[in-house]
Amino acid sequence: MKQTYDEIEESYIKTLRGRTALKRLLKDMAKNRKQTAILVASVMITAIAATFSPLAIGDAVNGVATGSFKIIIEFSLVFISLALIQFGSNRFRVLSSTILAQGTVKNLRDRSFKSIQHVPISFFSKVKAGFLISRMTNDGETLGEFLTFQIPSVVSGMTTVIMSIAIMLYLDFNLTLYALIVLPFLSIFTLSLQGKVRRNYLRTRKTIAAITGNLAENISSIRSIKAFNVESYTEGKFDGLNTDNLNANIKASRLSSVYGAIVRIIEYTGIAIVVFAGAIQLKAGLISIGILVSFIFYVQEFFDPVIQLSQLYNSYQSSIVGVGRIYGIIDSKKEAALDGEINVSSLNDSIVLKDVNFAYDDSDALKNINLAIKKGENIGIVGHTGAGKTTLSNLIMKFYTPQSGEILVDGKNLSEINTESYRNLISPVLQEPFLFRGTIYENVKIAAPDKSEEEIEKLAGDFNLDRIFSKLPQGLETNVGELGRSLSEGQKQAIAILRALCRDPQIIIMDEPTSNIDPYSEKFIFQSLEKFAREKTLILITHRFSMISLVDKIIVLQNGEIVESGTFPELREKKGIFSQMYDILYGNRGESLS
Amino acid sequence: MRQNKKNFLKKVKGVFEPLLFSREYLKNKKWIIYLIIAFAILSTATRLLVPIIIGDIINSLESRNFNAIYLEIEYIMLLAVLSAIASFVVNFGAQYTSQIYAYNLRKRVVNSMVKKKTKFFHDKTSGDLLSRTTMDIDASRNFIMNSLSQLIPTMLIIIFAVGYLLYINVVYSLFFLATVPILIYVGVKFQKKQRPHWMKIRDTYGVMTESIQEDITGQRTVRSYLQEEPQIDRFTGITDTYYGEYMNVAHLRGIYNNLMPFIISAAATAVIFYGGYSSIVSKTDVGGLVAAVNIFTMVTFPVSFLGRLIAFSENARAGIGRIKGVLDRDLDEDVLTSGDFPKSNGISIRGVKYKRGAREILKNVDLEIPPESFVCLTGETGSGKSSLVNLIPRLEDPSDGQIFIGGVNVRDIPLSSLRNHIAIVPQEISLLSGSISENIIFGRNGITEEMTRRAAKIARIDDFIESLPEGYSTIIGERGITLSGGQRQRVALARAIASNPRILILDDATSSVDPETELAIFSRIVKSIEGITVVLVSLRYSAMKYASTAYELENGEISELQNVEEISYAMEKDGFKNETDL
Repeated sequence: MKQTYDEIEESYIKTLRGRTALKRLLKDMAKNRKQTAILVASVMITAIAATFSPLAIGDAVNGVATGSFKIIIEFSLVFISLALIQFGSNRFRVLSSTILAQGTVKNLRDRSFKSIQHVPISFFSKVKAGFLISRMTNDGETLGEFLTFQIPSVVSGMTTVIMSIAIMLYLDFNLTLYALIVLPFLSIFTLSLQGKVRRNYLRTRKTIAAITGNLAENISSIRSIKAFNVESYTEGKFDGLNTDNLNANIKASRLSSVYGAIVRIIEYTGIAIVVFAGAIQLKAGLISIGILVSFIFYVQEFFDPVIQLSQLYNSYQSSIVGVGRIYGIIDSKKEAALDGEINVSSLNDSIVLKDVNFAYDDSDALKNINLAIKKGENIGIVGHTGAGKTTLSNLIMKFYTPQSGEILVDGKNLSEINTESYRNLISPVLQEPFLFRGTIYENVKIAAPDKSEEEIEKLAGDFNLDRIFSKLPQGLETNVGELGRSLSEGQKQAIAILRALCRDPQIIIMDEPTSNIDPYSEKFIFQSLEKFAREKTLILITHRFSMISLVDKIIVLQNGEIVESGTFPELREKKGIFSQMYDILYGNRGESLS
Repeated sequence: MRQNKKNFLKKVKGVFEPLLFSREYLKNKKWIIYLIIAFAILSTATRLLVPIIIGDIINSLESRNFNAIYLEIEYIMLLAVLSAIASFVVNFGAQYTSQIYAYNLRKRVVNSMVKKKTKFFHDKTSGDLLSRTTMDIDASRNFIMNSLSQLIPTMLIIIFAVGYLLYINVVYSLFFLATVPILIYVGVKFQKKQRPHWMKIRDTYGVMTESIQEDITGQRTVRSYLQEEPQIDRFTGITDTYYGEYMNVAHLRGIYNNLMPFIISAAATAVIFYGGYSSIVSKTDVGGLVAAVNIFTMVTFPVSFLGRLIAFSENARAGIGRIKGVLDRDLDEDVLTSGDFPKSNGISIRGVKYKRGAREILKNVDLEIPPESFVCLTGETGSGKSSLVNLIPRLEDPSDGQIFIGGVNVRDIPLSSLRNHIAIVPQEISLLSGSISENIIFGRNGITEEMTRRAAKIARIDDFIESLPEGYSTIIGERGITLSGGQRQRVALARAIASNPRILILDDATSSVDPETELAIFSRIVKSIEGITVVLVSLRYSAMKYASTAYELENGEISELQNVEEISYAMEKDGFKNETDL
């Protein structure tokens, strides 16, 4: 059976169940003791002040009855003071609930962001970026809104419920039991729907994530969409997801509205039962009329917040499902879990790959690779597209772990080496250069934070990259735009090279570093690299041989296996795959060289 | 003065702006809204009836009229059913309407977005656009839902209260009416003060989305350069700002929103003063006074709810403001109208200039590409090769000069025909998540399975695809199987070829493909697609040699290379010199 995307996502990011998620959320929120205390205190003060207000009015009115204007003034002042107290306590309530709510959301977002910096790289080939974004932004927002505006209602609602039950018990035990008779029904009813409600809201969250995922993809491929004039198709595809989301939301809100309506009926039934039972007891002379009357009022006091809370059930479920999804990201297995403890500070001898096999899911990428890269050696990896060149460099950079065989760095197994300390030794130039938004300087500085702008500019000159940047009116101050889109591919590559070289690493891994750079500029870069790379360990992946003279040894990959290896003259002599590729690129002139 | 008054009214109206905005997306749904209003009235009425029945019950209890009690219990149950129905209609109706609104608006936003000229996207980031199409829409949806389900009952309670006050005592109701302008004043002030904060909140939300997206895309670079911590710091900075703005709103809510019920309480105090004093003087009954004060306390909650609605409204307005940036039709292009494509596929570029921002990329380009030819365009990094070819299918427009295809100005060819007949393979490949065949067909009509396979064959990716267990149904893209750079490029190439274009533009589209495969692909293209014109942007000597003519872009101008070996930046010879050192 082929897995659906949902199942794949679920196997990578767990979604916590409602109750577990809620418990954890409450625990996280309660960590801010001070604000929790302020919130509870301010809600209680508000509630108490609200309870005393009618009394103050009552007393003031008594003043009217006794004709005492003094009493009226006194109790009116009490009344307005109580209002002032409520004003103050409500203010604290709003502040503390916002701190708790938005603080929690911020904390969850920060933690999930942190988490994605540490998950294995393979995670990103399984989970869509848009889906992750949706969990962190959309789901977080739903929770934030719920908490900011509803926590006070929940706290005060629960306080009122507890207080009114206490008062009812004080007034009459038997009648209280009658009043509470509906509670088990309400709970059973709520619990019986819970699974369905949860699934409904999960569906709404998943469909909005699908929308986000689809949009993210559409926006990033907008140029292709325009170039192929498939705007309508794109819209149609989006519309499908948009409709799914609409249906999911309608389904969820239909159920929650039915729930709300039935809760209403339960409420009124509760009141009716109390009236009925009260009347019978009154008839039997078991209670006084006074107690029954106050009881009826308190029953309403009690049901009001119950209803209110049940109406919140809607947004509660939606938020709690979202929270479960955010915790899923936070809990994702970290790369560090597989990380070793040996710290390395330099490469002293060699990187050796021993019987390494690697497959992406079920498609083999590398088979039985044996390769030794000595310190200071410059190695070229060549081969046709899809031969496994980039995969090999991914393994060496520890982005992936081989399924079998081992990679030894100075004799130590790479999996036992601390990733961070190891990556510190390497500067990669990836096949698709990635740039952060910001200037060229800023992009280089991430690799060399100690270098000043002057030093970076000087290095750009040393590596002969300055002629590429000189085409930009603002030079290294140029803003690269999102993913470097304001620049040409060649300029992007030049920045990636500068970044790698500025770090002054021990090992350089370059994956087609100059594929979009013109040969003339390339030549200059190459010349400067020749000197630089001599002191470094260089792994150069290429199928353009213009830079091949940088390397001492060439490895030829085909279908994931090493098929040839040797120096340039040796391989030319051999007249194998390498020679063939070389001849095609350089035609007869290459031929004449050998 | 009048101006002030006008502004003031405008501000009050501003609270309801999201509702006005929503009308366009709720066409044909008016009846639902009327239904909601009707049932909201019913729901409020049932709510107001409960205390009356309870009152009756108490009377019956006092008079020990048990038969009446049983009847009244039946009334309560009847009310229960009515109120349940009303609450269902109001809640579901409000949710339904607001979801329809979100659905329609989202649809419109996406429609508007895909129709934008590429220029629109120059200064937008995808994360920001993403937040505009999701959460910004949700902010206004939320307001609409809350308004529909609660605004009417809230207003009804207030109206009922005023009516009842009038009935009790006209003077008391004047006290209440006196608070109305103060309440509105406070509300407007509240609204004005939170405005900038909500705008900042929505913008920051966009930045947040942006930074997550950037971080995910660049994970390999982040990790290689140990940028995890700086990235986390940057993100925390954004969430700090976001949190800070919410706190700013909370401070305002703490004062203004709470001030509203306080004003009501102050008015109640005044009523007690006045009522108490006049009752003492005129020795009248205090019942009216008690009822009036009770009414005042009854409206405190609805009033403070209205205050909260102002907050929701500002959030919605800030979101709508951002959505309007996408809905704006200024940068739209017509991508639907189709028409004829010129018979001849020769391209003439005449006096073309192109600027991007302040950067002058093309200065004066004149180029004649004969029909059915295979030409190559080369030039140094950043010389404007991509910019020039993007002008042909009008992905960008020149700042000056014209481009003709078969003698017809490209501006006179409907975009749909232009782009259906010109296929471009960009440097930056975007594969969608989906199967290989979906990626090749790319949603275009009339591309058969046979054409797909043929295209894959021309792009020399067929063997690879067939070697996969699931062949053309293999899922690729974001979460699909891992393709190498060269394989990705060839899938994109197959996509371009599949429709048998009249003009094919390859923007260094085979840079990750090995030279052997590359040349084989070129010759297959020329052989298989009769009469095609190919414009190849390449830096490779071998590719240049393959072309019938090669041109070089230099300093924004173009020149024909008489002999490929003569290119001004020709380094191949030097390169070989180096190789002989081996």
